[in-house]
Amino acid sequence: MPESVPTAAKPAPVVQVRDMDFRYGDKTALHGISLEVESHRVTALIGPSGCGKSTLLRCINRMNDRVAGARVSKGEILVKGKNIHDADVDLTQLRRQVGMVFQKSNPFPKTIYENVAYGLRVHGVKDKTSLDEAVERSLTQAALWDELKDRLNAHALGLSGGQQQRLCIARAIATMPDVLLMDEPCSALDPIATLKIEELITQLARNYTVVIVTHNMQQAVRVSDFTAFLHLGKLVEFAPTEELFTNPREKLTDSYLRGTFS
Amino acid sequence: MNNPFAGDHSSIQRRETAARWLLRLGSYVVVLTTVAIFAFITVKGLPHAVKPGFLTELTSTLHVIESKDGKVFKTNPVEADVIKKRLGEGFQSEKTISYSGGGILGPIVGTALLVVVSVSVALFLGVCCAIYLSEYAKKGKFIEMVRLAILNLAGVPSVVFGLFGLGAFVLTAPVLTGTPADRAIFVIPLGFTNLSFQGWDTCVLSGGFTLAFVILPVIITASEQCLQAVPQGFRETSMALGATRWQTIWRSVLPFATPGILTSTILGIARAAGETAPIMFTAALAFKDKLPWQKDLPPLPADAGMFAHWEQSVQRFLGIFTESVQALPYHIYTLAAKIPQNEYSEQAQYGSVFVFLVLVASLAATSIWLRIHLRKKYKW
Repeated sequence: MPESVPTAAKPAPVVQVRDMDFRYGDKTALHGISLEVESHRVTALIGPSGCGKSTLLRCINRMNDRVAGARVSKGEILVKGKNIHDADVDLTQLRRQVGMVFQKSNPFPKTIYENVAYGLRVHGVKDKTSLDEAVERSLTQAALWDELKDRLNAHALGLSGGQQQRLCIARAIATMPDVLLMDEPCSALDPIATLKIEELITQLARNYTVVIVTHNMQQAVRVSDFTAFLHLGKLVEFAPTEELFTNPREKLTDSYLRGTFS
Repeated sequence: MNNPFAGDHSSIQRRETAARWLLRLGSYVVVLTTVAIFAFITVKGLPHAVKPGFLTELTSTLHVIESKDGKVFKTNPVEADVIKKRLGEGFQSEKTISYSGGGILGPIVGTALLVVVSVSVALFLGVCCAIYLSEYAKKGKFIEMVRLAILNLAGVPSVVFGLFGLGAFVLTAPVLTGTPADRAIFVIPLGFTNLSFQGWDTCVLSGGFTLAFVILPVIITASEQCLQAVPQGFRETSMALGATRWQTIWRSVLPFATPGILTSTILGIARAAGETAPIMFTAALAFKDKLPWQKDLPPLPADAGMFAHWEQSVQRFLGIFTESVQALPYHIYTLAAKIPQNEYSEQAQYGSVFVFLVLVASLAATSIWLRIHLRKKYKW
């Protein structure tokens, strides 16, 4: 980010959500959300089902554009200082730099190699050497290289659930995004696979800015630096994770963490 | 022992039995009819279909010569003269039965060509339309209208398609030509040549395009279902990786829908091969003594270069599609309806029907086999 000079010690936030309303048709799903995501940190979005945490996540790479009638009706989202709804924003470039991992691990029914190379191929990379390098780098960062380096041409659907989800992470980071969005990436995995992904997420924060939606509060504690608690489409509290979990400012947060409502 | 659940057996039981037998009987009738048709045609047609030359010879007129000593000769026009001469005084009578001699190579080749053209056209248009409906179009009035149109297209009687083909392709479709025909409806001069709306005449191309519209609804509907069956997650993931909509379709939707599309296409082939009315006015001939590529082109000079030979081959190839042809269903129609029926005409009729039936049945079987095979291969 050469243009925006970061202030003294704290780097500029990569993602800034400013007083944003989001609507599905007539129904307002998010009300006046303001949030700043710090670079190279893990930010968790928590809250009860239907609170809008996934919607908020999908706003950041404009995946909601696919839903008919869905739109940001107030406020704005800036990624790397640029309003992502500006007319001169190319969606494919935005999504290349804001990667996403989905709840259900969904590798393409292709080879492991082709899965990881997909993002580069759609961006026109044809050179075999750069593809090979990117595949190796991504699989290494996703802690899969040692397991899979000898069977890159095997079918991706032959992998275990946890491996498949890590492959999806490798696929998402192959284009070297600045931000990695994760939508409940462990909800379909067993505890051991979950643990591996959680380890991976903390490692990924070295190279990427991670925003993760989770319904597992312990997971938020384990992996995140900051946590945002949403309820009924409103951001109730946003604070460093430790602070939010040990000493919540809001009564609503407190009762949610205690499990008095869900 | 006292039975608390005892019912009025007499009436309930009787109704139960009656219902079961009615349903069973209905099913039996269906199965029996099918078996009867197949058996009858096989018994009558198989002996003739396996005769040497039936699948490899062109159609000709059947000559039946009877001699005075009661011998019967079934032969072709050329042989007939030889036999008559040999019999001399012994010659009793001669019958000629049109289209019933020789084999059915012409109709088989013609049907194959019509199928190739119609399926290519229908696949292209159908898949384009299905992709648009499934991937691009937003829900609304327009889409409802398109769907209604497809539904209606499926309900149009095939003879109407035939007449439509006659009007649209045989008589008005545009051709590029230096010298427009007099019957051209209008001509757009392009400088180096003219775009003349004079139609394609009755030919494989006209017939193939007409048949394409007959099978289009099947192909569109099936293709759309196959596209919809590809998990939404593939599209989302692909888009989230920065792929455009078309890249997503090309790389992560179409490849996984292709097996299904191809399977349903085979059923389209069976339909296209079987239709008679659409080709009646647009492509089919009752009789033709040449295969489409056996055309008399001016002989090349002895010193003609490679290019001239190559050009003539291309011309010969393209010429295939501008010829009228015989086709199996129309041939069967001709044999059944256009010639006087007698004991000798029967053989060619049953032979042709048998070959036709085997062809369609094997296409359907291929489709089923392909579906099973591809389902195993492409799972997600």
